[in-house]
Amino acid sequence: MSQINRKQLADGVFFSSVRDGRFKTMKISANIIVPLSADTAAANALLCDVLSHSCKAYPDFTALSKKLCSLYGADLSAFVRKVGDHQLIALSAMGLDDRYTLNGESVAQELSRLLCSVIFEPNLSDGVFVEENVEQERRQLLDSIDAEYNDKRLYAIAQLIKHMCAKETYGIKRYGSAQQVREVTPQDLTNAWKNLLKTAIFEIVYVGDSAPDKAQAVFSEAFGNIDRAPAAADTQIIRTANSVNTVTEEINVAQAKLVMGFRAGTALPEKEADAAALMCAILGGTANSKLFCNVREKQSLCYYCASRYDKHKGIMLIDSGVQTENIDKLKAGILKEIEDMKNGVITDFEMDATKRAMINSFYSSNDTVGGIEAWYTAQLFDGGFTTIEEMAARIGAVTKEQVIAAANKLTLDTVYVLKNSEG
Amino acid sequence: MNTVINEVKSQRAGDSYYKIKHSSGLNIYVYPKEGYRSAYAIIGARYGSINTCFSRDGGEKITVPDGIAHYLEHKLFESAEGDAFTRYAETGASANAYTSFEKTCYLFSCTEKFDESFEILLDFVGNPYFTAQTVAKEQGIIGQEIKMYDDSPDWRVMFNMLGGMYHNHPVKIDIAGTVESIAEITAEKLYDCYNTFYNLNNMVLCVAGNITVEQVLKTCDRMLRPNEKHTIETYFEDEPYEIVEPYVEQSFPVAVPIFNLGFKEKADSLSDERRLAQIGILLSALASPTSALYREMLDNNLINSTFSFELFEGPGYCSVIFGGESRAPKQAAETIKRYITEVKKNGFTDEDFENAKKAVYGDSISDLNSVGSIANLIADYHFNGNEIFTYIDAIADTTKADVEACLADMLDVNNCTLSVVKNAEE
Repeated sequence: MSQINRKQLADGVFFSSVRDGRFKTMKISANIIVPLSADTAAANALLCDVLSHSCKAYPDFTALSKKLCSLYGADLSAFVRKVGDHQLIALSAMGLDDRYTLNGESVAQELSRLLCSVIFEPNLSDGVFVEENVEQERRQLLDSIDAEYNDKRLYAIAQLIKHMCAKETYGIKRYGSAQQVREVTPQDLTNAWKNLLKTAIFEIVYVGDSAPDKAQAVFSEAFGNIDRAPAAADTQIIRTANSVNTVTEEINVAQAKLVMGFRAGTALPEKEADAAALMCAILGGTANSKLFCNVREKQSLCYYCASRYDKHKGIMLIDSGVQTENIDKLKAGILKEIEDMKNGVITDFEMDATKRAMINSFYSSNDTVGGIEAWYTAQLFDGGFTTIEEMAARIGAVTKEQVIAAANKLTLDTVYVLKNSEG
Repeated sequence: MNTVINEVKSQRAGDSYYKIKHSSGLNIYVYPKEGYRSAYAIIGARYGSINTCFSRDGGEKITVPDGIAHYLEHKLFESAEGDAFTRYAETGASANAYTSFEKTCYLFSCTEKFDESFEILLDFVGNPYFTAQTVAKEQGIIGQEIKMYDDSPDWRVMFNMLGGMYHNHPVKIDIAGTVESIAEITAEKLYDCYNTFYNLNNMVLCVAGNITVEQVLKTCDRMLRPNEKHTIETYFEDEPYEIVEPYVEQSFPVAVPIFNLGFKEKADSLSDERRLAQIGILLSALASPTSALYREMLDNNLINSTFSFELFEGPGYCSVIFGGESRAPKQAAETIKRYITEVKKNGFTDEDFENAKKAVYGDSISDLNSVGSIANLIADYHFNGNEIFTYIDAIADTTKADVEACLADMLDVNNCTLSVVKNAEE
């Protein structure tokens, strides 16, 4: 696959670049990583939005948008997510490769500089963030927190995690709480920004055709003046569930949702995480999976029933939408498939087909800018990069016995049901 | 008929592809991408949820249940020997399908064994197998798919808006139909639809990525027999220019209300590349995050970053839709209408126009980045009678006067429908 070149620019600051001439676009992202904490999550999330929508040179959303528009509709985006017990704040700039501009402009260089500006030269007034900008972003962040309830599939999954991990750091939402978002002051935000520059781990990832030297130099210089004391976190892994907690919520919905949360008994950096990933895919990760073939195709109970393994946190979730009267039948159907796997009911076809599907998706990711970036970004917590070839070889080498062992580590922790109040 | 191959090149995009009229009647596009390991193939029929009343070769009019095109898509994956997913499992390809208002498409992507996967695709799409038993089995699955969409506020707000805009056109009917309408579907009705619309002359195949023309044609030559060309007629009741009602609302368990504001446009013919370029630039200049409209709505807390707009067009329908989350949807709609009226009077600034043109141009080139995006776009352009590189050139050639002339005849503020979903208490 496309080679990645990684350099350290400062204490806890790394610049990784992939040069690839196959694409029409380039992308540069700053992944800012901090320990997830109830005290700072909300301020960091709000900060992420404020930073991505203005800077000293383009002091408000409209000015910055116009600049991006003139760079052939380039995109400067921000998102916050959780990776284990870390909060990952990503600021990304994506735009047209220089070869395709109408008048020979260099978009790549301007975007790298712009990304650097929004991080290091925000729009401050008397040393603090401008209140008007903060209020605008606060309103929108609160909207997006509320909007989680609009999509019932995502809402149900979020509720499962909230209940399952209530006593763990991972139970903190990626943006903290709405109440905390309401309380952050511009001064708090300014402190959060200074704290990030000093203590966060910065992983800058560049994918594009032109040489990354200039972008790298810009970041290198920016960090030259900063006193760094980076901090990292260890993710808490709970290996087994002692009892099953069932939570039921009633809302006026047409379709009930069932989400089941399991402790997987293994997480990165343990070798067994590969077998757990394959086990989860055989169970409910493809259109040939046990859940798809049995609870959907044979029993016609649902349209979707999927499993996903979070290798950083060591948990597995299964989610489905179902008629209220069929909830128990669906739950029993899901548990039966897991019981089968624990007892070794796994065919060679299931092993081989799932490995092929996983390996196919690995290789496909190398054919898009976003895919290459995501491949490496996903590994920023793994203590080194693995190529697609290496990962394909690792998945290919997992044995049926290892998959059975991974299934036997599963323990059901929490069941969340969302159903109609009249159902 | 012999197979005819033409190369289509673009200086601006730095790419080229092959347009082929195959001896079987199938339209084929092959877009090789150097250095890619993956390949993506999609085959589609000009047949979607709106084709519910039709005739073949001037014969009797046939009316079929709502949602049947989507149902057919699900059932085509099955054959007497099993389903296509099981066969794809042997090659490792990732397969899927979708039904929209005017087309049904089947696709896969792979990084090895392309020929084997391609054969599976052509085979199952070309060989229907519908029985009373297999049809019955799908009722529960699609029933749950429909229920899932019933809980989607984005989906509901759009269809409520379409119902408020269109008196008769079937675009207002849910693509998957209803639990009641799909209960009417039988194997015989599925065959009626299949035999009418799944004719190679009415279909398109697009392949992009790590493949060659020779490779694609070798399998096509072996698998596809010439199809006799039929005249297919789809009947739509006359649709007045005027909307049905200006406001529709539904109570829904949402924390943030959602709105769609749809402007009903004339739909005599589908837009060509020039008009698509003009409308793209026009909408970007009007409502993108750089616009004065966007700024005003942000400042007045009327929208958030979910705000978006699109041209929504197909056979017999055309509209421009603005939408997103809003705590004050009526005020947002009024602001949009007022701003359109102002721009119609005063025109765009040079800066607004130039920036919008660059943004639309940049997007059109960026769309040629991934094999999936390329294959899907080319299929879309084919069904609308357009060509992608011509569209890119049309953007570069569009002037401010073109865009303003285009606006003069669009976005009638007296012919639009506002649809809102919000919580019962609000």
